[in-house]
Amino acid sequence: MLKKRLVGVITVRDGWAVQSFGYRRYLPLGHPEKLAENLDRWGADEILVLCIDRTRRNVGPDFDLLRRLGSLGLSTPLAFGGGIRTVAEAGAIIQSGAERVCIDAALRDAGVVGGISALVGAQAIIGVLPLSFDGAGLQRLDYLSGRSTPLTAADLSLFDRRVVSEALIVDWRHEGMTAAFDFNLIRRFPAPDVPLIAFGGVSEADQLKMLFDDDRVAAVGIGNSLSYREHAVQMLKRQAGGTSIRAARFVSDSR
Amino acid sequence: MTEPAMTENSFCRRCLYSIDHPLGLVLDEEGICSGCRIHEEKDRLDWNARWTQLESVVRPYRSRDGRNYDCIVPVTGANDSYYIVHLVKERLKLNPLLVTYNKYFNTELGIRNLANLRIRFDCDILTQNVNPVSVRKITGTTLRQFGSVYWHCLAGQSVFPVQTAVRYRVPLVIWGAHQGLEQVGMFSHEHEVQMTRRYRKDHDLMGVEAGDLPSVFDTLTEEDVWQYRYPDDGSLQAVGVVGIYLGNYVRWDPKTQHELMMSTHQYRTGRFARTFDCYDHVDCFNYMNLHDQLKLYKRGYSKVTDHACREIRHGRLTRDQGLALVRYYEQRPAENLDLFCEWLGVTPSSLAFLMDLHRNPQYWRETAPGRWEFKGWSSASGAAAAPLEDVRSCEFTATGKVDTRERRSYIVIGKGYPT
Repeated sequence: MLKKRLVGVITVRDGWAVQSFGYRRYLPLGHPEKLAENLDRWGADEILVLCIDRTRRNVGPDFDLLRRLGSLGLSTPLAFGGGIRTVAEAGAIIQSGAERVCIDAALRDAGVVGGISALVGAQAIIGVLPLSFDGAGLQRLDYLSGRSTPLTAADLSLFDRRVVSEALIVDWRHEGMTAAFDFNLIRRFPAPDVPLIAFGGVSEADQLKMLFDDDRVAAVGIGNSLSYREHAVQMLKRQAGGTSIRAARFVSDSR
Repeated sequence: MTEPAMTENSFCRRCLYSIDHPLGLVLDEEGICSGCRIHEEKDRLDWNARWTQLESVVRPYRSRDGRNYDCIVPVTGANDSYYIVHLVKERLKLNPLLVTYNKYFNTELGIRNLANLRIRFDCDILTQNVNPVSVRKITGTTLRQFGSVYWHCLAGQSVFPVQTAVRYRVPLVIWGAHQGLEQVGMFSHEHEVQMTRRYRKDHDLMGVEAGDLPSVFDTLTEEDVWQYRYPDDGSLQAVGVVGIYLGNYVRWDPKTQHELMMSTHQYRTGRFARTFDCYDHVDCFNYMNLHDQLKLYKRGYSKVTDHACREIRHGRLTRDQGLALVRYYEQRPAENLDLFCEWLGVTPSSLAFLMDLHRNPQYWRETAPGRWEFKGWSSASGAAAAPLEDVRSCEFTATGKVDTRERRSYIVIGKGYPT
């Protein structure tokens, strides 16, 4: 059985790593490459860098940041997203050293996503779905307009057809809150065969364990709270326990 | 980072910070910065409940048999050290081991304050003296490489307590306030952020750890920097080292706290040329002078802006009054540069040349050889500044002198002082 992954999520806004709360409030954290370097040393299973303002500003991916990340020589797989508009941009991200690309707004353009998939392979594409549960069903947020609409079969077509390998399910309403992830987003997700990455409001080990126990969940992303204490990744791994994830590691000689 | 031209929209509408703050700063849709928003928590949180939370946090760390210290407390002869030790020893009733790093740029006032601190609070203290040859070499390198004479102080002050926690197997390190939280609202108080190696490197050390300093193009070697290396993850984990910040549990207000310590524990203060706050950093000849001038060269603002922002947030200054103070102080010449030149072994003109290399063209324009026009934060803030005589609502009292004039050199080793 493949191990499940604890993904360290670095949210980037205007070049700075930030804490993000509900897609609307932000606090500065530091330099994204310093957070990535740290997650790498801590033994995160994947690092996901999401530049959240690139699409809105229509400025394309932040290749300067990607170059700085590439120069770190990270041993942890890197996924990179934000601002991707074209097949060429996605290809350039992979050529710059990221293992995977994260597609958000462009997910609505099946032609572009299909082209990216043909170029880099479906395994290298994560699709971002900001969702909420309104009591009746799942709602998908268009973060550019701020409007939520019911999640439809069309929204899932790229996932069902394996054009995109995994869905990053973002509980955007609870993003940044403590132990607040809405499990309905996983339980009610209508495509049972699509591997899911749960993100938003996950901060505690018992949540992590519950999510890892769900067959549909391939990975769990954690952002803000990883910056609150030393060895946050290792502590979560130890507390969540089990054999489904790689064991915690503590580097014993930093020289 | 993107570096757009500064406009009024680059600044917080409440304080004087801009989005160019080196720790990062976020303005919300109302134009209020993250630091001011987090500061609002100081008037919203139940601080009695926060204190109870602190008591529960430290409880597991009390030595059961009294044969070891309960915690490590980093101190200096200034800053918030008195108040921190007061909270730890007199209110939490913990038995701390005080630790201090000898920064070499010591003032008599700082040596006196430190001696008085350990005597009045009746605490054991451990001092780290790194050999002066290495400290000078490091200072020369960091000044050349990234315009900092203070890297060794910041690195030493932030690593020696953690090294001591590992060596003495005392896992709890208690710090005062979290700079990132206080200045730019990096975290909520309720996040109860702890010390991390990442924050230290990213912010305290300007992105440069000890291991990054030696280079084939320099004389600095591993033998010079190893004392500043952070303990590895395995060592930290084996002891269970945790660094907590009292500012998450106590309504942090340095002015009020210092004044309490002045009246109850004889903490002494002194005036500086470049800021109105005479309570912070009176232990150091350079922090408010050479270090502060370099900050202005590199960052476009200086410590007086930090002090003004803090006082604006605490309601003791208006924004206009703060800006008036900044404009009054920030271009004043740094004092005691001669002491630094003598200590490092450079001429004043060499120092000036090295400093000019680090003037940020975003904030400085050389109009003629050696003549510079300032384009920094205070020049772009725009708003009219209040007349300086209106700034009486925020008085700071000097009870001593930073520069005693009787002794025109650093106190490179100061073991005690007749209090």
